Amino acid sequence: MATLTLDRLSKRYTSAQEVAVTDVSFTVADGEFMVLLGPSGCGKSTTLRMVAGLESITSGTLLIDGARMNDRPAKDRDIAMVFQSYALYPHMTVYDNLAFGLRRRSMPGSEIARRVRDAASTLGLDPLLQRKPHALSGGQRQRVALGRAIVRDPKVFLFDEPLSNLDAALRVGMRGELSALHRRLSATMLYVTHDQVEAMTMGDRICIMQGGNVAQIGAPLDVYAAPSNMFVATFLGSPAMNLLPAKLGPNRDVLHIGSQALRLSGPLADAAVRASSSDVLFGIRPEDVRSGSGNATLRACVLDVEPLGAETIVRLAPEGTSAEMLMRVPRTFSGRPDEIATITIDLAASHLFDPASTRRI
Amino acid sequence: MPAILTRAIVMLLLTGYTAFAAGPFVWAAMMSLRTTTEISRNHFGLPFPPHWEKFGQAWFNSNYSVYFTNSAYVVATAVLVLTIVGAMAAHCLSRYRFRGNRFIYFLIFSAIIFPPQITIIALFQTLVTYGLYNNLAGLTLVYIALQLPLTVYILESFFARIPSDLFDAARMDGYSEWAIFWKVSLPIALPALATTVILNTILLWNEFLYAVVLITDEAKRTLPLGIQRFMGDQLEDVGMIATGLMIAIIPIVLIYAFFSEKLIQGMTAGAVK
Amino acid sequence: MNHTAERPPWAAIIAFLLPALVIYTALTAYPVVRTFWNSLHKVLPNRPDEFVGLTNYATLLFTDDIFWRSVRNTLVWSVASPLFEVGIALLLALALYAKVPGARFFRIAWFTPVLMSYVVVGILWVWIYNYDWGAANASLRFLGLESLTRAWLGNPQTALPALILITSWMWTGFNMVVLLAALHSLPSEVIEAAELDNCGWSAKLWHVIIPLIKPTLLNLLVLSFIGKMKIFDLVWITTKGGPLWSTETVSTYLYKRAFEWSTFDLGYPSTIAAVWFVIIMGCVLGLTRLLRSRDRLEY
Repeated sequence: MATLTLDRLSKRYTSAQEVAVTDVSFTVADGEFMVLLGPSGCGKSTTLRMVAGLESITSGTLLIDGARMNDRPAKDRDIAMVFQSYALYPHMTVYDNLAFGLRRRSMPGSEIARRVRDAASTLGLDPLLQRKPHALSGGQRQRVALGRAIVRDPKVFLFDEPLSNLDAALRVGMRGELSALHRRLSATMLYVTHDQVEAMTMGDRICIMQGGNVAQIGAPLDVYAAPSNMFVATFLGSPAMNLLPAKLGPNRDVLHIGSQALRLSGPLADAAVRASSSDVLFGIRPEDVRSGSGNATLRACVLDVEPLGAETIVRLAPEGTSAEMLMRVPRTFSGRPDEIATITIDLAASHLFDPASTRRI
Repeated sequence: MPAILTRAIVMLLLTGYTAFAAGPFVWAAMMSLRTTTEISRNHFGLPFPPHWEKFGQAWFNSNYSVYFTNSAYVVATAVLVLTIVGAMAAHCLSRYRFRGNRFIYFLIFSAIIFPPQITIIALFQTLVTYGLYNNLAGLTLVYIALQLPLTVYILESFFARIPSDLFDAARMDGYSEWAIFWKVSLPIALPALATTVILNTILLWNEFLYAVVLITDEAKRTLPLGIQRFMGDQLEDVGMIATGLMIAIIPIVLIYAFFSEKLIQGMTAGAVK
Repeated sequence: MNHTAERPPWAAIIAFLLPALVIYTALTAYPVVRTFWNSLHKVLPNRPDEFVGLTNYATLLFTDDIFWRSVRNTLVWSVASPLFEVGIALLLALALYAKVPGARFFRIAWFTPVLMSYVVVGILWVWIYNYDWGAANASLRFLGLESLTRAWLGNPQTALPALILITSWMWTGFNMVVLLAALHSLPSEVIEAAELDNCGWSAKLWHVIIPLIKPTLLNLLVLSFIGKMKIFDLVWITTKGGPLWSTETVSTYLYKRAFEWSTFDLGYPSTIAAVWFVIIMGCVLGLTRLLRSRDRLEY
């Protein structure tokens, strides 16, 4: 296993003038599971392919265990990749698919056989070794693709949205299996996905990308609790964080939302003082909004109530503004549309964002 | 008109058309087993007794075996080389993006509609200059060039549909571009390759114009030329000619018997829009 | 997302393309150019080519009656035969589409003529058209129509139609198979919608089915047209262009001028080839452009 370091990696396509990836830097520690998360087109796949050697690096440095990899071809980087479409050779059996990469490396046949059998038993593929890909289910194909990577015993594992082609139920199962595999192998893994649930549950750390740039890097829960900008704040978490237009009072100790005011204290008050203008966006996650009275309350008009069984999502508009917000209430909610409800905000979990720069204050 | 009656009329017409379509061959097959004397008495009689020895006579007493082997040699060599060269070009054009790719593809593709007349005179001149005139090797080369455009066209569209992840994975596994072609592209494209092989074999087996221009030696004639010569030689020996015809079409009939579905699909695939 | 490696592996590309390009250039591209070169020269054996400018073209286009006769014959063939081949094929395909019993057998049987070489077909039909004992006249006599018997291939008025019948016989099966496949690939919802709209069979045919397979129909017509413009083998085996130029096609005329008549000049036949090449390419481009504009089908 090894460390993987990206130092200001950038990619520009010669045909197009825009840059696909700009200055991506992070280090994946030995044995760490790092997730590259972002919407489609954000550059995460391009970054992964640069690490793999399938795309050339325009500028920046790529290091694996301290050795510079920029000019080394993919096959010499000692990495293995699991593709979104599995990329299994349709004309070969599972056994041959697993052995294919090894045969190239002048490895004795006995060694190849040993590795293939070990990988097969780890992944439960023993009864399938003589089948061809078209006779396998989606989940089984996924495992073969994994097996192909495992037999290589690489320094780094790369994953390109491997679960996207599976149906929802299978995805949940495979997530657990991949995490278990990671623990068993203590492998260094770089995992690309657009699914934030995968990122939150599987990653030791996540790196969120937007428009070719790194937006934020950190442990999942840290990023969740302290997003660095509006994009990260709304990307993680479902339903997304509420962002309400608000105005800071002249002394920066009061926040006006609609026709109401909230007294600020603690870190939020410090943030208020730092703000460059008095127009801000107030961020609070739906689960941090409770029904009833408390320290910081607002009155809001109930717009819609969606009972989901385990919880209820309530859409409200605070009095004096037409901006909408969501509240998550465990079990049931007694209010009805067009009624005025009292809700409590957990100020400790709130954030202020600067509308102009979109950064958190 | 009641449905049953319409059905019956339709079936009658269809059967009539089948007689029209298959009739000539059945007639020739029957005549191939009858002696010419029997035939001149009644051209449409049934072959009782069937004279199987005529096939042996046709093969050994005339130059039929020579014509047949010449054709077999030329067609087999041409199709083999054609398939490999065409597959290499198709693989390259469909998988690599480079300037001039589409231009080259269009150049090759457009040659499919070239009438043979535009090249035949100059080919004659060229082959004479290089001593390849009246030479089976020369004819083979011409045949390869003749079917190359169609082969590249069919294979290119097939190769293009192979997902590129397979090639990325193979590259990461350490395979060179050449190894990827042999170990990944070709095996996956086997169905399309089979189609082009069958198609080219039939088209070249039956090819006449280039052969008649470029081959004049009796000993080097291909089968279509041989049949024409056979017809000239035997003149009114209808029975013998019929037997000769049957021998000529046997390879085709065999391919058709075993691969009719594949053959039909291969020959008609491009035409459905 | 389609990822492209911007630095294409030139070594591999050249290695893969070289054999094909060498063969193509030497045996297809170069001959085309050489033919055009020839057309501007008098090309005699064992003598350097003599530049004559456009004389060949002038002679060909303005004084060569046989050429124009052959052009007419070829064009008549290329227009009439496709219409028969595709029209009858459509009827047959519709019959099979309507789930007539034995469809699989019919399909295989009707496809066979296409597999045979023109040489075999030619000989067979020379026998069929034989005045004394051929199947054609024999059938007529059998039906009591002695007066309609002809020397089909020996009569200048019936020779070309007789040949057109042969190519129609050959290719109808091929077209039928293609059309049947096209019919089967139609989305059944559209046909069902027509059922619900209470259409009679002929209305359904004319207004729904035919417009939907029009691209395939047109494609077949164009393919057939091109094929007939190139035809040589069949004529050579049956009539060699006779009697009296009634079946002379451009290809047989060119062959005769280049390889049979003792003029030895290859320049003039090259001119024929060049002119014919331009005509064919022009027709193909014109046809595809004309037909492409009517090709918008969305369902």
